[in-house]
Amino acid sequence: MSMQVRDLIKAVRGCKTAQKIREVITRESALIRNSFRKEDKINRPRNIYKLIYIHMLGFPSEFGQLECLKLIANPSYIGKRIGYLGLSILVTENQEVLFMSTNIIRNDLSSEDRYVVGLALAALGNIGSPEMLRDLAPEIEKLMESESSYLKKKATLVAIRTIRLVPESVDRFIGKVRTLIGEKNHGVVLTGLQLVLSIVKTEPETIVKFRKLVPGLVRMLKSLVNAGYSSEYDFRGTADPFLQYNILRLLRYLGEGSKKSSKLMADILTQVGTSGGISKNVEIAILYEAVSTILSIESDSKLRVTAINTLSRFLSGRHNNSKYVALNTLLKAVNTEPKSLKRHRKVIVECLKDKDISIRRRALDLVFGIMDKKNVESLTQELLDCLPKAEKEFRYDITAKICTAIEKFSPNDKWQIDTLIKVLTIGGQYIRDDVSSMMTSVIGRNPDLQYYTSKKLFNILLDDRYRNQTFLQVSSWVIGEYGDILMQKSEKDGELINTTQALDLFQILLESSRTTDETKYYILTALIKFSTRIEGYDELIKKIIKPYREHVNVELQQRACEFFLLFDYNEIRDPILDRMPIFVEKEIELEIEEEVSENINKGENNDIQKNTQIIQNQINVNQNIQTVQNTQNTGINELLMLNTETKKTQPQNKQDSLNFLQEIFSGSGSRSNNNNNNMNNNNNNNNNKTGGQGLGLDLGLGLGLGLGMNNQSQRQNQMQTQRQTQQNQMQNQRQTQQNQRQINQNQNQNKNQNQSQNKSQNQNQNQQKVQNQPFVVYEKNGIKIEMNFKVGNIRGTPAVMSIIKTTNISSIPISNYLLQVAVPKTLKAQLSQPSGQTIPPNGNGLVNQQLQIIKLVQQKTQLSILLRVTYVINGQKIVENKEVSNIPIFF
Amino acid sequence: MIKFILIVNKLGQTRLAQYYTTGLSINKRVALENEITRRCLSRKDKECSFLEFRDLKVIYRRYASLFFLVGVDEEENELGILEFIHCLVETLDKYFENVCELDLMFNIDKAYMILDEMALNGNIIETNKKNIIAPLHIIDQVSKKLK
Repeated sequence: MSMQVRDLIKAVRGCKTAQKIREVITRESALIRNSFRKEDKINRPRNIYKLIYIHMLGFPSEFGQLECLKLIANPSYIGKRIGYLGLSILVTENQEVLFMSTNIIRNDLSSEDRYVVGLALAALGNIGSPEMLRDLAPEIEKLMESESSYLKKKATLVAIRTIRLVPESVDRFIGKVRTLIGEKNHGVVLTGLQLVLSIVKTEPETIVKFRKLVPGLVRMLKSLVNAGYSSEYDFRGTADPFLQYNILRLLRYLGEGSKKSSKLMADILTQVGTSGGISKNVEIAILYEAVSTILSIESDSKLRVTAINTLSRFLSGRHNNSKYVALNTLLKAVNTEPKSLKRHRKVIVECLKDKDISIRRRALDLVFGIMDKKNVESLTQELLDCLPKAEKEFRYDITAKICTAIEKFSPNDKWQIDTLIKVLTIGGQYIRDDVSSMMTSVIGRNPDLQYYTSKKLFNILLDDRYRNQTFLQVSSWVIGEYGDILMQKSEKDGELINTTQALDLFQILLESSRTTDETKYYILTALIKFSTRIEGYDELIKKIIKPYREHVNVELQQRACEFFLLFDYNEIRDPILDRMPIFVEKEIELEIEEEVSENINKGENNDIQKNTQIIQNQINVNQNIQTVQNTQNTGINELLMLNTETKKTQPQNKQDSLNFLQEIFSGSGSRSNNNNNNMNNNNNNNNNKTGGQGLGLDLGLGLGLGLGMNNQSQRQNQMQTQRQTQQNQMQNQRQTQQNQRQINQNQNQNKNQNQSQNKSQNQNQNQQKVQNQPFVVYEKNGIKIEMNFKVGNIRGTPAVMSIIKTTNISSIPISNYLLQVAVPKTLKAQLSQPSGQTIPPNGNGLVNQQLQIIKLVQQKTQLSILLRVTYVINGQKIVENKEVSNIPIFF
Repeated sequence: MIKFILIVNKLGQTRLAQYYTTGLSINKRVALENEITRRCLSRKDKECSFLEFRDLKVIYRRYASLFFLVGVDEEENELGILEFIHCLVETLDKYFENVCELDLMFNIDKAYMILDEMALNGNIIETNKKNIIAPLHIIDQVSKKLK
């Protein structure tokens, strides 16, 4: 005999371990199953009751599902009650059981006892499947007209579920709205409002019809606000807050895009949005909803400013909850109300110091949201100030935001370097990986700042050499790379820095147990670079490197061995350790490319157009070279032939591209090397002008290949690769070492390198392919939205970068243009601010926006995007959703 | 829209769970409850009553030894839900007369009924305590007579 419910609960409570609980539950489940098998009618309700408890504890209870059906078929109310409870809790997924219950529920819906009907409706509202709801829709419709408000409100909620699961049934319920909202009973009105909301969400076209409700809703809200104390629905002095905020939410949907309706609500919104106090939660809840409505509908700017001010009042208040919602709402308003938001900078910054991490995170997002070129310096300083006190996770967030701020708004490179050094020193180990690559790239492109930076880093190191590893890595890289500049200039300036000091420092760091092996790689490389930068220290450096030839870490040992051997090859040591080429960031590249194409479109700058063509021509050469590579034809003659082929296909630009190749092939030995250097510089210059860095990179690789095929110039090949694989400077450094390893081994090098280069070139080509096809994702009312895609990497994660161009070929100007994107949960999208909100007519201008999508999961994903376009044309607001899923990008 | 309502004690044991979303297997449900409860319990008093969990917002409030957690979607008014939780607690309090964890455990059916009177399909139906409790009183009277 199974036990009483009470005893079961007591038994479970008495258990000291999870194992014991499991034992009790398993035993009891077996008994219940037995009892079911015996068709024990008397104990059935009790068993189901117990199963509900068992289910709540997280144990299987499926075997009770059919028993629930038997219970609800039972005429007794007590049995039905437990049966329906069991049905809505135990049976959630089992379609068969649900289907079987349909008829019983239908019977109960027409029962004379309204509590039985209530039970059936409650179950339907909680678990009704689409099939059931479709079948029972007529009954539900009838019950919505019932005289009892108890049933009416429940039936309305079932109708909401029906609309949600069976959207085509929406028409059935539209007609019911007016009477429901006109009711006296608050419960019925509340459900009526929620019904309208769900209709409006499923079928946005109905909004126009429902706008007629606005005056009534405004009246209702007004009477609630002015009601003062009403005993029935009073919540600490506020009349039915749930009804109030649901009215406000519905008004938001109805007011969006309609100036007329917005005007009708303006008065009451001003009253609600300004008069309420902010001491009680209820009051804040309503105020918050009112403010969200004001910001979403077409309110005038005065009202909007009041709304922002109210939110700012929340921020300076004491309630954390209201701070949180205020920050969230402000974040939504960042794009529409940037000016008034910036006025509240102080309160927002203050929230960065809040005790609550959720609030600090929001505040950080918001601070970043209001950042622009003007305030970037002061706001970044604020962020840096709260860095030392922040906990680990938050530190990471802050440094990430600072980096993005630098990428976007940096006023000058010196500021950027100073900020990055601060991030490196304060942020400790919790910083984003690309801080280091960002640092090296900015130094690389600023010869004037190389001395400044290396001196600064060196001095920090001298002060406290046990900094975090990232800092050590970056500073040893910088000091190694620009050691000559540092030493020469500091001597001139009378600074107390000399080479022995630097070498001593490196030696101490190498010997320290607090330096990780990875950092030691960087230091060793810095040392070997020093040997070429500054003369006369070879012996000392050799002495420092020597012990590491027997180091237990393989990588370290290998580096030490190879570096040590390099001293015997003086003629190649210099070129191998030559200055790193200037690093080009992918994102910047994208932006400049955009500018180029824009200019071409406008036909404003013929020079640039020409340059681009030149580059494209160069790509052709590249591709040709690659074809040769694939067929394993390794003759220089072939290449020259290809050269002429290019001449034929692209006669107008032959000079430039030919010159490059001819120069290379005519030279030999070190001269060719020099030429390459020049050419690379030329390239960089070219690219700086035209912006096609990515293309320049291709050229570099291709030429590297071309040389590699000439067996006599293997040496150049190594130098070439080393110089031209412009992926990441820090990585580049490793690449150098790999190449050096190859000098020692001197085996199979051509093959390996060519393969890897082939790969990277293939990738580049694929990217270009996709990149070259702009997708028209939206075309209506003369508005055309084009996107082009580029697969790449952002901070090591696969990503798609896209530029969204919107043009307007109609003769009417477009205003209030806003584009929003949504992506599946497996992806994360980041949309930059648009270059403008208005689009001039006749295609005379365009709005640019950048979109970055990164992948959050491992699997390959096809890109699909949901766009929402909002704009005003002819004074009419248009909101449209568009799904873009046919993009042939898997990443 | 409300996605779920949970009542857990401070040891993290679920005392009542109502889901308004479909497609949650029992294992996933238990994992979700554990994760949310763990995060909720670790929060300090001074922190705000909201936490973000996957694509949901969880709004919680503590009453003595019980935590009331409500998971909602993006649009829901967080402060309104806090008020709803308070309303739920007051109603339970009114019905059970000083509600405690044991009341809920031994009368789980009544607790579910109260909840069903207040919210259905993730929407709020009724917030007037008297109206919510009225059907329950009738049931109690009927069962007394039967006994």
